[in-house]
Amino acid sequence: MSALLSSIDVILQDGFMYAILAMGYYVSYTILDFPDLTVEGTVLSGGVAFGLLVRAGVNPWLALIVSFIVGFVFGSLTGFLHVKLGIRPLLCGILVSTALISVNLVITIVGMGGTFAGDGALSTIDLGRGVPTLLRTFPANLLPTDVGGFNLQRLVTFFAIAVAFKLLLDAYLKTKSGLLLRATGSNAQYVTMLAKDQRVCKILGLAIGNGYAAVSGALIVQSRGNVNQGMGVGMVVIGLASLIIGLSLFGKIRFMKPTTAVILGAVIYQGCLGIATLLGVPSAYNKIIMAVLFTLALVGSSAMKKGAEKNA
Amino acid sequence: MLELENISLTFNKGTPDESVLFDNFNLKIEEGEFVSVIGSNGSGKTTMLNLICGSLVPDSGRIVFDGKDLTKMSEYRRAERIGRVFQDPKMGTCANLTILENMALADNKNKIFGLTRAVNSKRIEYYRTLLEECEMGLENRMNTLVGSLSGGQRQALALVIANMTDLDMLILDEHTAALDPKSSETVMHLTDKFVHKSKITSLMVTHNLRFAIEYGTRLIMMHEGKCIVDIRGDEKKNACVDDLLNIFNKISIEVGNKV
Repeated sequence: MSALLSSIDVILQDGFMYAILAMGYYVSYTILDFPDLTVEGTVLSGGVAFGLLVRAGVNPWLALIVSFIVGFVFGSLTGFLHVKLGIRPLLCGILVSTALISVNLVITIVGMGGTFAGDGALSTIDLGRGVPTLLRTFPANLLPTDVGGFNLQRLVTFFAIAVAFKLLLDAYLKTKSGLLLRATGSNAQYVTMLAKDQRVCKILGLAIGNGYAAVSGALIVQSRGNVNQGMGVGMVVIGLASLIIGLSLFGKIRFMKPTTAVILGAVIYQGCLGIATLLGVPSAYNKIIMAVLFTLALVGSSAMKKGAEKNA
Repeated sequence: MLELENISLTFNKGTPDESVLFDNFNLKIEEGEFVSVIGSNGSGKTTMLNLICGSLVPDSGRIVFDGKDLTKMSEYRRAERIGRVFQDPKMGTCANLTILENMALADNKNKIFGLTRAVNSKRIEYYRTLLEECEMGLENRMNTLVGSLSGGQRQALALVIANMTDLDMLILDEHTAALDPKSSETVMHLTDKFVHKSKITSLMVTHNLRFAIEYGTRLIMMHEGKCIVDIRGDEKKNACVDDLLNIFNKISIEVGNKV
């Protein structure tokens, strides 16, 4: 029973953590129709920025905002490559995320005071025991840690952060700038006719998407307690699968905001992985399970679309 | 006043498919004119509109509008003063946004798109009165996604939206061609109403010879990158579809146009 409880704990916590990544994809993929591979790099960048700053004693909430800015900057780089240099979306993401492998590593090594002499020296950032992380700082530290087998402190904090970023995105999409972004994805020519540069709008959208991905990376670091240079791998699948599961299951519900659907999608996706673990599937199978789930989500969402068209 | 001066444009330069569309093309449009442009496919009508709007740049020559040289100005900057309605009803509106959201965006044209609320509920009444002019019942469907409207309704909406801003020029790019006869009649009627009201300088490309004669103050027929007919005033009033059709038949035997 306690194994079940603790897996529910982990599922929810991971769900909220990746929900922010999936919301980023909501902006870049759903709104802008841009398959953005940059997140493999920016999730890690956000984690590196957060890890180094928190380790240096910077307020973790501030570090979370900085990680957003880091993702925002690298995301706009992808946008720049696409709109100004005319490079295809997939290639832009590959280029930037490849470059970020080095950038992240160098920043980590320099930040940890290591040298480049021994390759891979100090390529991980350990948050350590005494470091003031999000949970050890006001206001999260006021919450009780252990309630009936749940780590309530971590769960509530992650939930609150996910909801905060959801509300921010909802609010942004209702502003003039946000509506213009939605118009860009829907009909870029319309934006041109509004005398606005649609290229700038695209850059902005990718910047926001990657800002969210970086925040997600920061939370991963908060949750795991360390930065691992490999932690960006697989983020495209996690983000997109969560997004597509959420939108295809709950997207049609009228009163529910798409961002809410995306959070639920992320939790469900983590739930499926958690159930596999509970059933005793070795973690080596994790990535193939992810790929299969993603395939099911894609097939499911297109089947649902067809069904809707038939009914219409 | 809009002036196209010595415009030259060649497509696929340096390839076997090279085709010279414009060679020293000149056109002057006076303020307040409503010009209908007709001509067979490939005669350069739409290309001319693309040059004016900035989606194409000429190889040489100048485009001058009210004394300002637009030739090097980007498309979106020109859109500040030039409105455009396309042949494809999907181009003039955003399918994924509601009528209200589309209009709210247009309402903010040439202003800053910042972090204030996009839809101002105080403006809804104003949008409603604009939509009422279309007589399509759109004013009661403000929260409908534009993607679920018919082609005629979308085109009427695109027309309303193009006219929400104070513009110097309106470009109508075969904007009735994709519509059924009834809708195209309605949209054309609406166009005339708008143009009359705002006295805006307009340039309308059409394949409908009757529209070209009935509406507008001047008529141009283009052929192989040249204006071969340019009539206005009484001369235009007295022109009839058969006259134009005769010219059409003279210049090309295979005209695949709807009359």
